[in-house]
Amino acid sequence: MSNQTTSKEMTAEQIWGVQPGERRSVGVIHIVITALLIGIGFVVGAFGSISFPLGFGVNFFWTGIAVQQIGSVWFGAWGVLAGTIFPFFSNAIAGTPFYVSAAYIPANFVQAFLPAWVFRRFKLDPRLKTGRDYGILLLAMVLSSAFGALWSPLVVLQGFGLLTTDSLPLFIWGWFGGNVVAGLVFNFVLLKALSAVVIRTPAFVKRWWS
Amino acid sequence: MNKTLLGYVPTQSPIYMIHPFVKLFFMLIVSLFPMFVAAPEWNMLLMLILILFMWISRVDMRTLKIYVPVAVSMGSIIIISYVIIGGTHPEFQLIAHFLGINVYWERVRDAIVVYFRILPMIFTMVFFLSTSRERDVIVAMRTIRLPFVVTYVFAMALRSAGMVLEDFQIVRQAEQARGFDTAGKSPVYKLRKYVNYMIPLFALSLRRSEEFTNALVARGYAFTGEVSKVKRADYVLTHYSFKYYDAIFTALISLTFIALLILRYGYQYFSVDESVLINWLRNFFL
Repeated sequence: MSNQTTSKEMTAEQIWGVQPGERRSVGVIHIVITALLIGIGFVVGAFGSISFPLGFGVNFFWTGIAVQQIGSVWFGAWGVLAGTIFPFFSNAIAGTPFYVSAAYIPANFVQAFLPAWVFRRFKLDPRLKTGRDYGILLLAMVLSSAFGALWSPLVVLQGFGLLTTDSLPLFIWGWFGGNVVAGLVFNFVLLKALSAVVIRTPAFVKRWWS
Repeated sequence: MNKTLLGYVPTQSPIYMIHPFVKLFFMLIVSLFPMFVAAPEWNMLLMLILILFMWISRVDMRTLKIYVPVAVSMGSIIIISYVIIGGTHPEFQLIAHFLGINVYWERVRDAIVVYFRILPMIFTMVFFLSTSRERDVIVAMRTIRLPFVVTYVFAMALRSAGMVLEDFQIVRQAEQARGFDTAGKSPVYKLRKYVNYMIPLFALSLRRSEEFTNALVARGYAFTGEVSKVKRADYVLTHYSFKYYDAIFTALISLTFIALLILRYGYQYFSVDESVLINWLRNFFL
């Protein structure tokens, strides 16, 4: 109960700020959380890849985006790492060639990194208390997905000779829409429902690594 | 039966005579083959070889069923992408015109080439996933001397994927026990309810992360600091030895790849112009 009261009283500044005398270091829990995020992303991402496929790992509704972006907000670089790695597994199960998945790494990295960065840079409240928290998160989701949507079809699929120039818009919009819509459905609900608990756990990462 | 990443394979399967590293090496190198081979008949041959390997390895071929929708979906997307919305190209040879769509020979040819490049890549991945166990992947990673922490994260991730699936079932059964039933409901409704699965799934994983951590710390595991520098026994590796035929297989895979590159770039083999199938189709359509 006292913990709940404390978390309610915490401001966004306090959530991200390291208090005087507070020691934070990388621990076993961060390794474990990375592995678990990869595991969740594997299952949840594969669900999206198999259920709503557009082809080559691009989906109309990619549920994995929730793990990619929420994980990185809560767990910093560990979440970014997991968000970059797990699409390898989920895409593999869904039948995406290994090297195509490998070439998606920059897109997945940016999609995981940007929301984590804005929360730390602008000291946003992961419990989504104000319109500013919602607005900047939405902007980060849109921008990171836009980068992914441009990188993957333009650079990767075109580079591998898998798409024609005329069909690029379908894949660009497919990637972008598939990620943003899934993000809208899951990200806000998950942050709102679980952030208050997560920020009290030792796994929560205030800076990038601890 | 051994549980692999994608199904079950009998314990007596000959695939288990081969060192896990060879399987990983095979997947990494053979996945590259279709990138250098444009002629569809060669890629079809590669697929047949992979199916033969799966059959020899006693893989349950019913596993492949889940990839039928993927193959059909990819095929449809490629046809839509190349043929239907391929644009207007007066420089190409028109073979049909219907519903205002110009179907060009060059587009049909490219669609076939791309499709038969993708399929063997998928088959290679499916072969690897359906013959490799979690332990095989770990052994392969340890064999190439990846740091312990990387292997450990990888192994735990694979294991946790199975646990997430179990958790998903538990959450679903708990919902059903409370009278929740999605039968006959719209996809939008089901999707909305899927969000309700995600929250307990995340919560369970967070709780599990603390249990895992406590268990690891209690056993003296550490990934940083002095303790992590102590050389590990690598017990799992003692069950596997890299035999002479593993070396032969590794060399064969490497030599096949080198030969492929020489034939492709030195002698222009495997190109679209050299393809028997493409030439036959060209004569058929034009």
